[in-house]
Amino acid sequence: MSERLVEIALKIPDNAAFTALLALRRLGLDVARVERSEVWRFDDRGDPATLADRVRANETIFNPNKHRLVELETMRPRPGETWIERRDDGDEVRAHLGGKGIAGVNASRRYAGWRLLTSGGEPASRETLAAAVAGLLCNPAIEKAIY
Amino acid sequence: MSGAIAVLVFPGTNSENETLRLLRDCGGRAELVHWSRGETLGDFDAYVLPGGFAYEDRIRAGAISAHDRMMDFVIGGAQVGKLVMGVCNGAQILLEAGLVPGTGPIRRPAAAFTDNAPVPHFVCRHVYMKLAVAPARSPITAALPDEALIPSFAAHGQGRLAADAAQLDEIVAGDRLAFVYAHADGRLDDAAVPNGSALGCAGLINAAGNVLAIMPHPERDAWNFNHLDRRQGSDVLAPSGGSVLFASFVAAVDAR
Repeated sequence: MSERLVEIALKIPDNAAFTALLALRRLGLDVARVERSEVWRFDDRGDPATLADRVRANETIFNPNKHRLVELETMRPRPGETWIERRDDGDEVRAHLGGKGIAGVNASRRYAGWRLLTSGGEPASRETLAAAVAGLLCNPAIEKAIY
Repeated sequence: MSGAIAVLVFPGTNSENETLRLLRDCGGRAELVHWSRGETLGDFDAYVLPGGFAYEDRIRAGAISAHDRMMDFVIGGAQVGKLVMGVCNGAQILLEAGLVPGTGPIRRPAAAFTDNAPVPHFVCRHVYMKLAVAPARSPITAALPDEALIPSFAAHGQGRLAADAAQLDEIVAGDRLAFVYAHADGRLDDAAVPNGSALGCAGLINAAGNVLAIMPHPERDAWNFNHLDRRQGSDVLAPSGGSVLFASFVAAVDAR
């Protein structure tokens, strides 16, 4: 069994990310672009080479018309990125995976990924990220942020 | 002259018309204020945030709205004692804005109305809210009888109060648990709670008592035609049932 991370993001314009960008600017943060994704952490018993195809086969979380899928090399958020996890996401993760689940996947966790970029295209600083997490992206009563 | 009540309309709000109509039927001088006219909010004496899906619940329910320019006026007004009531999505916005339970800084939420439990599904169910504080605790509830039962509809996927144990203790100790779910006869038990809400919470109030956030919709069970079996009088268009909370709100606004 191996732990694998998969990022699913929109390949069409992301209105939610744009709305978040406007709200972050209202907070006075130096953010020029926001990228949003769904990050899945899978405990996988299947053939690693086929994981992406197996995930793509789950129509509940992946729609080929609007999503792109990337297998992540790192197990941590990238610079400028935070992963927000619900504290009680268990039932909802199961519901989102649908009745079929994903072949070979034993367990899964889900994060909302937010990547903040400056006007120069650089990842936002850790200070900016911390302010965005505290001010908007994470409600600590129900969520925790990793960054 | 009676006080002016603004019914705020964010992009995605969907309960503004019945909210407005009920406020007016209860004698309130209310009008809709859309986000494009938010700069006028300072002219109003009280604010009502109706239900819906403001900003499509992006990030979290209420999160974007809490940072909307309109909320600058609501927060500022609340801090100088203006009355504020949020229903359903409006309640979620008030929590995200930190106005209720009001145990932390503004716009730093200390609690949330979040996914229903045990199954995180949308619930549409007739419920009763029972007043869990003394009526005089808040001007908004001052005209209600002790332990008033307010018929309402729970219609939400995210109505469960969630907070850590310390926050829940503070909510109880601070007398901020304004309404709990109850049966029609006033009994309290888990079966009366449609969403697994902590403390059986249906509504929260801030320390000063001028901001109330309720998850169920009294305005959807508020005229005789909504509940002919419980109608008061023969006029089917007359307000009754859940209207008592709105009437109490209007009376409080007019008394200021």
